Amino acid sequence: MADTPTRRDLIGTLSRGAAFLTLSGTAGYLVQKAQGQIVWQVDAIKCVNSRIGDTATEACSLCTTACVVTQSAVRAVNDFANCGRCNICPAYYNIKSAVDPATGLPSEKRCPRDAITRKPIGLADPQDPANNFYEYVIDENKCDGCGKCVMGCKEPMGLGSVRLMVRHGLCVDCNRCAISISCPKDAIERKVVSEALTLQKVEHAEK
Amino acid sequence: MTEPARRLLLLLFLMLAGLGYSYAQVRYERPVDTAPQPQTIGGGYSVPEVQKPLPRRQWLQVLDVGVLALALGLSVWLVISKRSRRWAQFLTIGSLAYFGFYREGCICPVGSIQNVAVALTDPHYSIPIVVTATFFLPIGVAMFYGRAFCGGVCALGAMQELVVLKPIQVPRRLDQALGLLKYAYLGIAIWQAIQPFAAREFLICRFDPFVGFFRRDGFAHMLYVGAAFLIVGMFVGRPYCRYLCPYGGLLAWASRLSKRGVTITPDKELDCGLCTEACPYGAIDKMRAIRKDCLYCARCYSSCPRTNEAALVQIGAPR
Repeated sequence: MADTPTRRDLIGTLSRGAAFLTLSGTAGYLVQKAQGQIVWQVDAIKCVNSRIGDTATEACSLCTTACVVTQSAVRAVNDFANCGRCNICPAYYNIKSAVDPATGLPSEKRCPRDAITRKPIGLADPQDPANNFYEYVIDENKCDGCGKCVMGCKEPMGLGSVRLMVRHGLCVDCNRCAISISCPKDAIERKVVSEALTLQKVEHAEK
Repeated sequence: MTEPARRLLLLLFLMLAGLGYSYAQVRYERPVDTAPQPQTIGGGYSVPEVQKPLPRRQWLQVLDVGVLALALGLSVWLVISKRSRRWAQFLTIGSLAYFGFYREGCICPVGSIQNVAVALTDPHYSIPIVVTATFFLPIGVAMFYGRAFCGGVCALGAMQELVVLKPIQVPRRLDQALGLLKYAYLGIAIWQAIQPFAAREFLICRFDPFVGFFRRDGFAHMLYVGAAFLIVGMFVGRPYCRYLCPYGGLLAWASRLSKRGVTITPDKELDCGLCTEACPYGAIDKMRAIRKDCLYCARCYSSCPRTNEAALVQIGAPR
C-alpha cells in the first residue's frame, strides 16, 4: 500500500511540476531580459552643478545630504584630460575672496573639507609661479560630493572638467537611490556599468 | 571751489573707492579655452588616469550565488539528514557573517521580490542574472524541502535566530492572525514597486530593520526599529520572519508543495510533546510539524529523546 502512489501523491507531483515550470519560465524570461550589471550614476549634463547655462550660483549639495551612507558615495572627480590646470583655479579657490598680498592668490579655498591638493607640474618656473600649470587632485577620502568645486569649474569660469560621480566602491546600490529621489534635475540615473564609468564631457562653448 | 567742481571731485573719489574695492579680489578671467596638452606642459608630464572604482566584480557576484546555493544545500542536509542543531547553528553564524556583515545584507532574496516584480512589469527595467538566481534558488529549494533558506541562510533570520532567549508560545489563533500580516506586506510592497518610475517605492529595503547593523551605518529610526525587533525577538521567536517577512510568505506557499521537510515521524514518536515545547515558532501542532511555519532551526530534533540518549533515560522511555 505504501509503495503504490495515491491520488494525493499524484496531485502533489503534478502541482510541484506545474509550479516548477511556471517559475523556470519566469526566471527564463528575466534572464533573457537581463542587460548585465546596472548601477547608479550622476548625469553630468543634467546635474545643476555642472550643466552649462544653469543660472544657479549656489552649489546643490543634495548628493551629500540625501545619500543613505554617512559620507555620501558621490565624489567630485577631476577629468584631468580636460582640466585647464589654471594658476587660479576657480574650483580650488574662492575667486571672490580677498587677495592674499603675499601670493597674489585668493585667500579662501572653495572646498569646505580641504580635499583638493594643488601642485605645480611640467616645466615649473619657481620665479614666476603664476605662469605655471597646476594639477588639482581631489582626495577621495575627504570629499563628500558637495559640488562646490564642480560649480566653480563650470563654464565660463573654468572648463567644466570637475563633475560629480557615484563611486561604486562606496555606493550600496539602493533599489531606489535616495539622492535620485531628492535630485531636482533627475540627474541620478540607472546605467549599465560600462556607460556609468565613462566620463561625460560637459561641452563648453568655443570662443 | 564751485559747486560743479566739488561734485566732480566727489564723483572721482567714489570711482577711486570703487576701484580700490574691486582690486581687493582677483580680477578673474579664465586663462585658457582648452585644456593644455602634455607637450605644452612639458617636463615629461603625463596625464594621470582618473580613478574609477569598479562595482563588485562579476565573478564575485557569481560566487555569492554559489555560496547561497551551498548554504541552502547545507541547511537541508544538516537539518533533515544530520538532524544536528549544533551544526545548523554554525551554518547560521556563517551565513550571518557572509551575507550579513561581509555582503552588508545586499543583495538578498527578500528585497529582490520587488526587483523581480518591477522587471516583470516594466519593459525598460531589467535585473542582472545573479539577482534572478538569488530570488529563485530559495523558492526552488522550498518547493522540495521547505523553508531551508529561513533557517541557516537568511542573514535577517540569523540575526533573530541568535537572540532567541526565552521564547514564549504565542497563542495559536493570534499567531495565525499575525502571520497574515506578511501576505499583506507582500502585496503592498509589490504594489508600491510596480508603480511608474517616479512613484516607485521599495518598501522592503527602505524598512529593512537589520541592514543598518550589517552596514554599521544607517538612519537612526531604522536602527531603533531593528533593536526593538531584536529585544522582542528574545521572547517571541523571530517576530520579523513570522509576521512580516514577505519572502517568508512566498516560501510558506512554496513549502506547501514540498515532499520532505522537518518531520516528527509517526510510529517513532513518544508522545512526550517535548518538541512542541522546544519549538519557539509555533510550528509544531498536535505533534506534527507545520511545513509552512517551520524555520529549520532543528530545536525539535535536539530536544527529542529519540535522538538524545540522556533525555531518554530521564523520562524512562523504552529504548
